[in-house]
Amino acid sequence: MALASILVVDDEPKIRALVHDILRSETGRILDAATGRAAIEAAESARPELIVLDLGLPDMDGADVCRAIRGWSSAPILVLSARADEAEKAALLDAGADDYVTKPFSAVELQARVRALARRSRTAPLPGSAGPLVVGGLTIDTAKRRVERDGAEVHLTPTEWGVLRALVASAGRPVTHRQLFLAVWGNSEGDAPLYLRVYVAHLRRKLEVDPYQPRLILTEPGVGYRLALEP
Amino acid sequence: MTAPFGAERRAAWLRLLVWAAAFLALGAATALMLLARHRLDKAHVALVYLMLVLGGSAAGGRWLGLTMAAAAFVAFDSLFLPPYNTLVVANPLDWLVLLAFLVTSVVAAQLLTRAQQRAEDARRRADEVERFARLGSETLNVARAEDALHAIAAVIRATLDVDRCDIYVRDDDSAGPRLAARVTDPRRDPVDAEPPRLDGRSLVAWVHSHGIAASERADGTLHVPVDANPDAPVGWTELAGARTILVPLRVRTRTVGSLLIMAERGLVLAAEQQVFLDALTYYAALGIERARLAADAASVEAMREADRLKNALLATVSHDLRTPLTTIKALAHAVTEEGAAPGDRRASSIEEEADRLTAFVADLLDLSRLTGGALRLAPAVNTAEDLIGAAAARAAGVLGDHPLSIVHDPDAPVLTGYFDFVHALRIVVNLLENAAKYSPSGTAIELGARQDGDRLVFTVADRGSGVPYSERERIFEPFYRPAGVPADIRGAGLGLAIARGLAAAQEGTLTYEARPGGGSLFHLTLPAASDRPA
Repeated sequence: MALASILVVDDEPKIRALVHDILRSETGRILDAATGRAAIEAAESARPELIVLDLGLPDMDGADVCRAIRGWSSAPILVLSARADEAEKAALLDAGADDYVTKPFSAVELQARVRALARRSRTAPLPGSAGPLVVGGLTIDTAKRRVERDGAEVHLTPTEWGVLRALVASAGRPVTHRQLFLAVWGNSEGDAPLYLRVYVAHLRRKLEVDPYQPRLILTEPGVGYRLALEP
Repeated sequence: MTAPFGAERRAAWLRLLVWAAAFLALGAATALMLLARHRLDKAHVALVYLMLVLGGSAAGGRWLGLTMAAAAFVAFDSLFLPPYNTLVVANPLDWLVLLAFLVTSVVAAQLLTRAQQRAEDARRRADEVERFARLGSETLNVARAEDALHAIAAVIRATLDVDRCDIYVRDDDSAGPRLAARVTDPRRDPVDAEPPRLDGRSLVAWVHSHGIAASERADGTLHVPVDANPDAPVGWTELAGARTILVPLRVRTRTVGSLLIMAERGLVLAAEQQVFLDALTYYAALGIERARLAADAASVEAMREADRLKNALLATVSHDLRTPLTTIKALAHAVTEEGAAPGDRRASSIEEEADRLTAFVADLLDLSRLTGGALRLAPAVNTAEDLIGAAAARAAGVLGDHPLSIVHDPDAPVLTGYFDFVHALRIVVNLLENAAKYSPSGTAIELGARQDGDRLVFTVADRGSGVPYSERERIFEPFYRPAGVPADIRGAGLGLAIARGLAAAQEGTLTYEARPGGGSLFHLTLPAASDRPA
């Protein structure tokens, strides 16, 4: 039992019951909310350690629920969404959600995502800030601005380094295009962010074994990128 | 229709009144001058009479002026030129005075009335222009276009004073002409005779298909100028005297309907009425065109509404289906894990079918978005290798025992395109799934990208049986299913239709090519990004 309590927000009782069943082994207590307003109240009064939030609540926009909770809680938020809602997923991540699972999901998938988020919230501080992040054959030391592949230093341009650092800071979680624009260029305007995907391509060519089948910097279609912690 | 008669009678009374007043004034002036005859000069008398004649012509027109001139001449001669009370003139020079008076008053009366007539003509023309303008704006503004046609028919009937005026619309030649407006003379019994027939067909239909005016003469014979040029102006003089005439209504070179005019006593057209008819037939043609456009717009609106409903329905259905599917899938998964008997594939079958249904719902939703124009595009500068990598990752589960080989040159520059990543990914994944589905197990599937001018070309190659020549375009139609493929392999037949629609939506193409040595090549082209980062 990794987490003391989980809040499940969904307007469909069947899905709530399902998520209860799947997550029973992960937590001591499961709370329910059927609306955005109830979710914000429950998050404030019961202080759950993780929140599972369904897209498409009847009373509020999911992004607004995220922002309201993020105002004073750092509990990870996991979004349940349909496949075609990429723009909405990105908006929720930008509003403070941590990760998402696409419906229909399998029990294993949901459990794995919840565990990953729980581990991260427990092991905070940020990955890589206490020491170099070792993943696959790579060692990424953000403090020393140094990347090694199988012991040999890899030279990165400042922009490539900026992209990598932003991904490392949220390792294991999706980072939206907008979050990357802001982290690397300070804004999402201008020409440079247009070429974010090109910088990622160059980064992959330097870090991945096969840049056409990346194992480290994964693409989250329509949302952004994710640095895999377990390649 | 009592108003015109009332107006006519009133005008007659008015004319009588003017004449009476004019002669009363003439008499009064003569009497007054007689009283002071000895103190008056001939010139004074002539001037007073001249004034009265001019006043009379101004108020009552030329005939009143001339009549007054004659009367004044007689009065002048007999009462004011000695010897009095006879028409004899003693002083021969007085004849000169009399003659000068007569000529001056006649010429002045003529000039005055002519000027007045000109003013009147100008006013009438201005009226006519205004009437046309009003009719024109009515044709375009009346809420129902059919009402405008009725108004035009009424104006034509009243202006030409004929028994009946019809306007026919040419919708569809197979259905025959449609009567859009009929106006008959309200003072007479309605003439409801059908238009004349030619070779068993309504003459209206003939006029519609030939675009030439035709007529029925007073003796009942038809005048059908088969060789006439439809683009020449209507020969109104040729049609004069006819009992029924049918004139095509044309917009540019297209005949959109026809105008029928019936006059039992024979049609008489003054030159100005011909000009008027030319203008009105043009308005009628415009009116029909407008009615057609309005009907088109209404049906487009109705279709859009139907589309909107369909999309709303599909969105609701897909949302409502997804919730039970999520539950079914997760429950089936739980059953599999919680110790179904070994070899019992029932629970995992349920899970697979739930996935298939989910994919089908997504397909239907995409197809409805594509056809309804509701597809959202988020084009951006993307790299070919990102798309290939994401497609390989997403298709991994469905490729089975087909090895995926990615064709690329590691030293080539990064290929960039300007496209919507999510939609492009859906296309490539669909092509990979198809390749796995339709090629023998164990054969490799190849995926590669290259730049060709301003296009990026992604190619998926397999060693399947290929697509027969006759089917090569049909495979992109919705619900196409190849013959001889077991039902459990083929899907709903939407994949390629959606893929091509998604490509077209972002200025791309999706084409098939037979692969040399056997198999299929599917080429997806997308716009290449125009410039590179510095």
